Amino acid sequence: MQVSITVNGKSFTHDVEARDLLVFYLRDTLRLTGTHVGCDTSSCGACTVHLDGQAVKSCTVLTCQADGRSVTTIEGMANGDNLHPLQEGFREEHGLQCGFCTPGMIMVAADLLERNPNPSEHEIREALEGNYCRCTGYHNIIRAIQYAASHAVAA
Amino acid sequence: MGDTQYIGKSVKRVEDKRFITGQGRYTDDIQLPGMVYAHIVRSPYAHAKINSFDIASAQSAPGVIAIFTGDDIKKAGMGGVPCGWQLHFKNGDPMVEPPHPLLIASGDTAKHVGDGVAVVIADTRANARDAADLIYVDYEVFDAVTAAADAVKPGAPLVHESAPSNICFDWEIGNPKAEVDAAMSTAHHITKINYRNQRLAPNAIEPRCAIGDYDGANDRYTLYTTSQNPHLTRLLMCAFVLGLPENKVRVVAPDVGGGFGSKIYHYIVSVHLVSK
Ligand code: FES
Ligand code: FES
Repeated sequence: MQVSITVNGKSFTHDVEARDLLVFYLRDTLRLTGTHVGCDTSSCGACTVHLDGQAVKSCTVLTCQADGRSVTTIEGMANGDNLHPLQEGFREEHGLQCGFCTPGMIMVAADLLERNPNPSEHEIREALEGNYCRCTGYHNIIRAIQYAASHAVAA
Repeated sequence: MGDTQYIGKSVKRVEDKRFITGQGRYTDDIQLPGMVYAHIVRSPYAHAKINSFDIASAQSAPGVIAIFTGDDIKKAGMGGVPCGWQLHFKNGDPMVEPPHPLLIASGDTAKHVGDGVAVVIADTRANARDAADLIYVDYEVFDAVTAAADAVKPGAPLVHESAPSNICFDWEIGNPKAEVDAAMSTAHHITKINYRNQRLAPNAIEPRCAIGDYDGANDRYTLYTTSQNPHLTRLLMCAFVLGLPENKVRVVAPDVGGGFGSKIYHYIVSVHLVSK
């Protein structure tokens, strides 16, 4: 089946199988490998992207479900050399070690800040419930998101 | 403080920029020309003898390039992976080191859920997985034991015949017993505690992953794998498993999605991919 999907502002049309997962479409077909697969059972959140602005786990979305819709991945977050405030925050607050969970963390946090620009620590922790980080112990991820909330540029 | 003074300062990590922008390069991000995919068929049973394999329908499935079972590995005379760390019993005997075959052959037993029994190579990830579903393995299921404390009880099912009571080694570290006894006999206070080591789960978020690349013209092998210890992997794989000179093999560990010790080992899956 043919799908047309806008990814990071660019339109793509491809033939896909009905069973193809969005995460493999992004990684293997478009070669946007910043979106990671940590489990493919909807547990870890490393595959989180935005589908029409909402954070989804792309290992649990069929490519054909994204037909006619718009996807944003980690590669679409910076504006040229200008990092997104969340990217700045993760770097400033040491919110990552191995970096494997980071794209998913940033995408889920971006969705949170969109809905709630000034979340409490508790609200941030709740928003991250579907995302694992095996390295950091989460504290610095919380700080990174708080940094972004307080440094947000009016976009 | 000059710019070259780093002690007491917090420095920005050089790798962060690529990680926060999605430009990291982990093993699964690498796509080589002509790359094909392997799917490993694993035992669904903790303890089961394999009577036979039936791979006929899998072999004619779309996209299948090759299928190898434990029988093929046995026929090729390929040994198992070694344990990289030698320990001894308290009495000085060397530890029991049962074989860990690359894939379990018919007539042998799978020792845990997930023990590899066959590998399917196909043009795509999906085709490899589809074909794997068409492999029929006839298992004879035996009793299993899952708790360490139960495994050493008399009559517990044996994981490896060569390790009586399921004990491979009985290791101790610390001061000699006489010294400890002497210290205890003069101690003002003695506290006794029964301590059982906690469960450890050194599981990283990036799963195990490996890509093998054989350059036939130059007879050289490259293994890309998520590893904390690529040099050891190369040494063990060359010297103990494949019998290849190390200078023909390069092991590349690109960005690694966590390890915590679990990626120090030399994994069987790496051997599969290099040896093909
Ligand atoms: S890969 Fe999607 S949740 Fe883990
Ligand atoms: S930084 Fe390694 S899993 Fe989060």
